[in-house]
Amino acid sequence: MASNIDMISLLQSKFGEKIQIQPGVSGTASIVANNGLHHDVLAEMIAADEKTGIVAMTGLDFGQTLGVYYHVRTAKPFFTIKAEVPKADPKIRSVVDIHPGARFHELEVTDLFGVVFVGNEYDGHFVLSENWPDGVYPLRKDVDPTKVKLVPTPEREANLPAEGRQVKIIIGPQHPALLEPEKFSVTVDGETVTKVEPRIGYVHRGIEKSTESRTYLQDIYLVERVCGICNPAHAYGFVGAVEKILKPDVPERARYLRVIALELNRLHSHLLVLGHAGLEIGYETVFQYFWRDREPIMDLIELTSGNRVYGSLITVGGVRRDITAEQIPKIKSVLNDLRGKIPFYRKIYLDEPTIRLRMKEVGILSREDALKLSVVGPIARGSGVDIDVRKDIPYEAYGEIPFKEIVYPDGDVWARMNVRMDEVEESLNILDYALDHLPSGPIRVDVARSVPVGEAVCSLEAPRGELFYFVKSNGTDMPERVKIRTPTFANIPSFLKTAIGESIADIPSNFVSLDPCFSCTDR
Amino acid sequence: MIDLILIFRILVFPGFTFILFLTLFCDWVERKLEARIQNRVGPMVAGPGGILQPLADFIKLLTKEDIEPRGVKKAVFRFAPMVAFSIMVFAMCFLPIDGASVLSSGGFSGDLIVILAFATIANFLLFMAGWASANPYGTIGSARVLTQFLGYDIPLYLLALTPAFLVGSLSVFEIAGAAWPAIILAPWAFVLFIITLQAELEKDPFDVPHSESEVVGGLETEYTGAKLAFLHLTRDVQVVFGSALVVTLFLGGANGPMIAGLEWLLQPIYFVIKLLIVVVISEYITTVVARLRIDQVLTGNWKILLPAAIISLMITVALVTWVYNPLSIGV
Amino acid sequence: MAEKKSRSRISPIFKRALSHLFTKPATSKYPFVRPTLPPNSRGKLVYEIKACNEIDFECGEDFRFDIKSMRGSNCRVCARDCPAQAIEIVEVEGKMRPQIDLNSCIFCSQCVESCPRNAIKQSDLFELATTDKKALVMKPEYKHETGA
Repeated sequence: MASNIDMISLLQSKFGEKIQIQPGVSGTASIVANNGLHHDVLAEMIAADEKTGIVAMTGLDFGQTLGVYYHVRTAKPFFTIKAEVPKADPKIRSVVDIHPGARFHELEVTDLFGVVFVGNEYDGHFVLSENWPDGVYPLRKDVDPTKVKLVPTPEREANLPAEGRQVKIIIGPQHPALLEPEKFSVTVDGETVTKVEPRIGYVHRGIEKSTESRTYLQDIYLVERVCGICNPAHAYGFVGAVEKILKPDVPERARYLRVIALELNRLHSHLLVLGHAGLEIGYETVFQYFWRDREPIMDLIELTSGNRVYGSLITVGGVRRDITAEQIPKIKSVLNDLRGKIPFYRKIYLDEPTIRLRMKEVGILSREDALKLSVVGPIARGSGVDIDVRKDIPYEAYGEIPFKEIVYPDGDVWARMNVRMDEVEESLNILDYALDHLPSGPIRVDVARSVPVGEAVCSLEAPRGELFYFVKSNGTDMPERVKIRTPTFANIPSFLKTAIGESIADIPSNFVSLDPCFSCTDR
Repeated sequence: MIDLILIFRILVFPGFTFILFLTLFCDWVERKLEARIQNRVGPMVAGPGGILQPLADFIKLLTKEDIEPRGVKKAVFRFAPMVAFSIMVFAMCFLPIDGASVLSSGGFSGDLIVILAFATIANFLLFMAGWASANPYGTIGSARVLTQFLGYDIPLYLLALTPAFLVGSLSVFEIAGAAWPAIILAPWAFVLFIITLQAELEKDPFDVPHSESEVVGGLETEYTGAKLAFLHLTRDVQVVFGSALVVTLFLGGANGPMIAGLEWLLQPIYFVIKLLIVVVISEYITTVVARLRIDQVLTGNWKILLPAAIISLMITVALVTWVYNPLSIGV
Repeated sequence: MAEKKSRSRISPIFKRALSHLFTKPATSKYPFVRPTLPPNSRGKLVYEIKACNEIDFECGEDFRFDIKSMRGSNCRVCARDCPAQAIEIVEVEGKMRPQIDLNSCIFCSQCVESCPRNAIKQSDLFELATTDKKALVMKPEYKHETGA
């Protein structure tokens, strides 16, 4: 494992004067590499460390030029490779040949900013709707999306039927297997899947553009509503990035309360998907049991934050509400009830023959594929890759709380479900520890409403995987650019890989095992 | 001469009306049982304890708009649900619900085969109903229905012959009236028959034609309104018919400890009680297992259940020839 | 992590399913049974009036109410901070007061926090469904006749 010092000196020795290194900016260091050098810099980093992967790609509008930032994660946290292209001729070399996981990110930047990635072309829109006119790029500063006129839907290649004896079945946008609308065109040969083409963007609400016209305080609530299930994670991602620029002195008690809010969210989200997986394989009884046990957790979230779903506990400078001493025994008794039920669920997953028939050896993702596509969260940990942001880059109080990282080597649907089940138990341990060791003191500090010029990244472990925020401020009380990279966006390419070669009847359970959340994907 | 008693038997009891209300009642039992196993309440507002809920659902569907998409095969699309329902009810009329079948007779020799053939025809009509819908999901769903029930019909027939061998006759009346019900003399056949029945009735773990996440609505996708009401009713009558078949073949039909003079009351009561027991067992199995994939369903049939049915038949024949007949059991 | 070997290979769901037939169902029979919400739930917003007054708003009624001890001032912080832009400052009897549109309100209670005089509070009423959208706009109004 190369430490960050080695990476910087390695790049300096390889490239010398052609690149510029800014330590401490946007992560561990930023590397300014223009004129196509970004491709070579990335190739060097991948060769040096196998865990290198592109976490996110941000597009920025600087007026005359467009910036393309590659946020790269090695075994140690983030490096940002910055490249700039002129607006008049926005062509840049694509990195898909050395890192296939960058494909989705590049397509999104193309759609929203108009940067053309040579080597990664796509016919049509990727995130925007088909009715959006070509040539209008909404995230550029001079475009006002409310004044754009829509055009009639053109004919695209993805809608044509397959050739030969293969049949193209379209799953979605409305389909009982999917919670939210997305379209997957599945080409089958008999019962075996040969190709999957996704079309995302049905739930694109333009949240990243909206953050630029609201204050930081209002933006916390806006980014919270990217996703209903993992909303504290989004709130914390934004707040964490802003706090890295502002650097307030967040009290200790607030750090522990933030951990409690995040872990309660992880509990209810994992119970949700464990039940939903049962529903997709036709096991409604287990679905009802899991959701019945999820209800006391929702009541706990209401107890601590006032609302069952959108807690809005986390704010810049601390948390908004406190947990009183009388509430703690109530919380602990509910958590103990849930802990008593876990052995039952574990035994079902181990012993129930129909679950084993439906979930084992299905949707296998090998370790090399997981690394190449830079998947995150329980999907990576179910394939033997031990990445967990809480352990790799401890944030808030996670550095002081002991807990285990759960890794299963099998790589199939069963392994991913077991990862989530074990994480439920670990969350209960974390919550117990945090409640026992809650330090006293204030819960928030006052912060200024305007944020000085700067940029920062923040990464955390949402229930579905690693959630990444990049915030750039310009001195006013509204942000300049907010970039959100959600875990499902990073994990969907793995579904395109694992579905191939399997029966079409396995698609629902394979799909649910990656815990898709399309509101997160599309933003 | 109009035989009023015969008309009463056909239309009211134990004929059409009785079967209809028995179907709705069994639907309520199924839903309530499934709800309680899943730790929730189930139907509880329509009528006392929710017992009128299936009837309310049926009436609600009758009031909805009946849409017929362009491109369907009109005759099949319109009449298949109704004809399937009628055939199932007709098949049910052959079973001795109150000691004698609806037509007041002791049946005829060979009516076991006729009953099973009617059930197969009704299933086939359901397949055609889905096939006639101009919808890819309907086509896939009905193709799965056909694959499943045609495959599982073979072990079903073989296992249904077991009680016939024990009694030595193909008449359901004589099988039901045997001195020792088949569950005691051949319990392995009972277990296998229940499993095969789950597949025939398309319940978990053989629920593939109804799996929403794969085929949306299956063969029911294009149906609305009154036609959908009758499709659902056909499915419910199939459940009752299958359970009644089990009761007649294996559990001794409407027989039980009798009080002379009260046969007309006690026989239907025994029949219904045994029917409910079988419905409860079937629903319990449905609730506690997941759904198998279509290729696992087919493997289960051709590689496991069919050989098991053949072996069961061979064991039964051997037992009958060398053990039961010399000891005069079961005649 | 190696697969844990369990002692019996029969899934526990068979016994558990049967035992559930005899336990009380977990459903709470809303709307026949009202839930008890924990304190400080974020429901409908109210302006603060004297602490001993009971606040009771029926659905469908205009959400006007007495603001005898209205302590809001002309600072407009609530309207500035509202993420959903649901607060509009209107003139009432010469004073500028906030008008809250519950159609747009996301019940985040940022206005509750921002108000420097604690003039806005939140109750736990959540059954706000009505058939008239205009009824959901909370207009501030002085009623000179107040209940004790």
